[in-house]
Amino acid sequence: MSRAWKSPVTARDATPSASQQVLPFLEPAPLTRPLAPTAVRRLWFCVWLPGLPLEACRRSDEATAIVEEQQGIHRVLLADARAQAAGVMAGQSANAALALLPTLALEERSLPREQQALEMLAGWLERFSSFVCIADCDVLLLEIAGSLRLFGGLRELREKISRGLRRQGFAASLAIAPTPLGATWLARADRRVCIRNEQNLAAALRHLPLASLHWPQALCESLRGMGVTTVGDCLRLPREGFVRRFGAEPMLTLDRALGHLPDPRHSWRAPERFCVDYEMTEEQSDRELLLNICRELLLSLEKFLLARQLGTQRLAFSFFHLKGAATELRLGCARADRSAERWLALLRIRFEQLLLSEPVIAVRLQSGLTQPLQAESVRLQFHDAGGGQQRRYSITQLAERLVARIGDQSVHSTSMVAEHRPQYAWRAQSLLSDWTSTTLSEVRRHLRRPLWMLPEPALLPADGAYPLHQGCRLSLLEGPERLETGWWDEDSMSRDYYTAINPAGMRLWIFRNRKQSPAWYLHGYFG
Amino acid sequence: MSASLDKLLQNPRVWKGRSSLQQKAGLPSGYPELDRHLPGGGWPPAALTEILIEQYGIGELRLLMPALARLSEAQPDYGEPGWIAWVAPPFQPYPPALRQYGIDLSRMLIVRPADASEILWSTEQALSSGTCAAVLFWPEALDDQASRRLQLAAEKGHSWAIAFRPMAARGQASAAALRLELHPGGTQHADGQGTNVHILKSRGGRPTVLNKLL
Repeated sequence: MSRAWKSPVTARDATPSASQQVLPFLEPAPLTRPLAPTAVRRLWFCVWLPGLPLEACRRSDEATAIVEEQQGIHRVLLADARAQAAGVMAGQSANAALALLPTLALEERSLPREQQALEMLAGWLERFSSFVCIADCDVLLLEIAGSLRLFGGLRELREKISRGLRRQGFAASLAIAPTPLGATWLARADRRVCIRNEQNLAAALRHLPLASLHWPQALCESLRGMGVTTVGDCLRLPREGFVRRFGAEPMLTLDRALGHLPDPRHSWRAPERFCVDYEMTEEQSDRELLLNICRELLLSLEKFLLARQLGTQRLAFSFFHLKGAATELRLGCARADRSAERWLALLRIRFEQLLLSEPVIAVRLQSGLTQPLQAESVRLQFHDAGGGQQRRYSITQLAERLVARIGDQSVHSTSMVAEHRPQYAWRAQSLLSDWTSTTLSEVRRHLRRPLWMLPEPALLPADGAYPLHQGCRLSLLEGPERLETGWWDEDSMSRDYYTAINPAGMRLWIFRNRKQSPAWYLHGYFG
Repeated sequence: MSASLDKLLQNPRVWKGRSSLQQKAGLPSGYPELDRHLPGGGWPPAALTEILIEQYGIGELRLLMPALARLSEAQPDYGEPGWIAWVAPPFQPYPPALRQYGIDLSRMLIVRPADASEILWSTEQALSSGTCAAVLFWPEALDDQASRRLQLAAEKGHSWAIAFRPMAARGQASAAALRLELHPGGTQHADGQGTNVHILKSRGGRPTVLNKLL
């Protein structure tokens, strides 16, 4: 009976008064209570990258060490195997390391680059799980319970990930456990274990040294002073006393690691925009080489978009110089696209005109907003109409090429607008945004409209009441057509339009203002 | 008699004045008198046409409108209608008027390049793309070499190129298949403008003067 009352469904269905009666029965769950078995068992795969600072910065095959400034002195943070063989160790000053190995390449630690490498790896790991999480500056977590069947079991999956990491040049320590923290600690302690069952977790964690928990230094010091060196020692201490002395936080992490408390994590998503830099070791001004670099960037963009079934309409290249601002180059295309070849064709057009004031040290490719790619079906062509009729590219591609060279504003289509004022009766439509042309109104056939329209009406000189054009009097052929409209906005007009002809035989469309000054204006030519 | 004549004509050594072009049907201009004087009975398709004018507004567009309207309709052999590109027009082609002449506005492409070389580049791109049925362009300058190039692009893309040039270009050599001069007819014609069309050069045809065509 009491179980039925405690069930949340009953509590939700009950009336307010009933739920008030129910509440006293709901006690907070004791911390030591094992987590109720849920329908979905989670399994966390931890990838710890101890050598990330080194691997993210590696450029050459030479012995390399990463240095970091500590209290004004550059000290070695990490050294690769060859440097270690020569005696270079973490904590040495940079000078000492150089004395040991004069050919040592020293690299400053770069946190942004590490983050970039970590995100790159997270993006790569997304193929193994729908839930990837960047847990720390060198820890990646994957939830793999749902992926086991697809990848042929735990052993296969682990082997795949481990091989892939090695191929990309990352040394990682891998561990699998039912809780994210448990997996992280095991990986950090370099216990390459695989624990599937929650019952075995506590036993495995017991032997871990406190150092792998990444608790604050002071806390570890005082615990070590008490003779507490492992996780098991901590768990043996009385809970209340531990919490009173060291705060609740360490105990909560222990509970999370053991699975007594839930440990929700944020799922990391690869960015939907693409932004990749290509850095060169020295400045370059060879255009062919730069174009090849752009091609490589476009190929990686294609891969990025392909994995997500996306395309993009805009791209931006930035060419960085050592001195001065970067040179920007923007490309647009009419339909979202990912094909590197097509983008490259557009780039070539623009690249010819690009002025690079200085040699280039780095190139960045950034994609605009991405959008789901719409596949385009092509008509089957059984008989090619033998002569000359073949189409090289579609109108969208033509528009893209034109826009790439002469700019977005200079290429447009037109459509009509239902409007009496002649200057508002049409509008230019960009070819790169919305294709849909709307035929709004049918023109009344009896109204004579000129084929050429001036962008702005031009004032005509007058001889008395007669308008002059090119120094001669105009004779009026037709008119007036009175247009008096637009009272609802600032640009109201009241004009009498006439068709006029000048002695040279040009036909003009002219008007006279009725309200303001009665001057004559030229508005168009009957071309 | 006719058999022996045919045999004679088969001989490649016999030069025929109006040779290959005559097989290609021209694009009806909508002006029967003009069609009669053009080889193929209309505007030369897939070729460069030059129109020389002193001033705008004397009927240079009206001369083309019937043919352009026909091009912007669906053509049975082409599947879908072609586009009409305007490269560097001197003023704004006014959509309501174009619609009155039957042009499909959704298939108009207006390009305004910044300088002379880009006008030619854009025109060549549009011509050779194979999607534009007609390309109207207003070059700042068009030398013999450029006109030859555009003529080839028009053939390649099966597109009709129309160049509008000033009367001063009359003496220049040009690779255009057809060169016309337009002269305004004066003020006395109230209904039409009475524009005179002079055919300066017509590949496979003869120079003519057509008075008061429009």
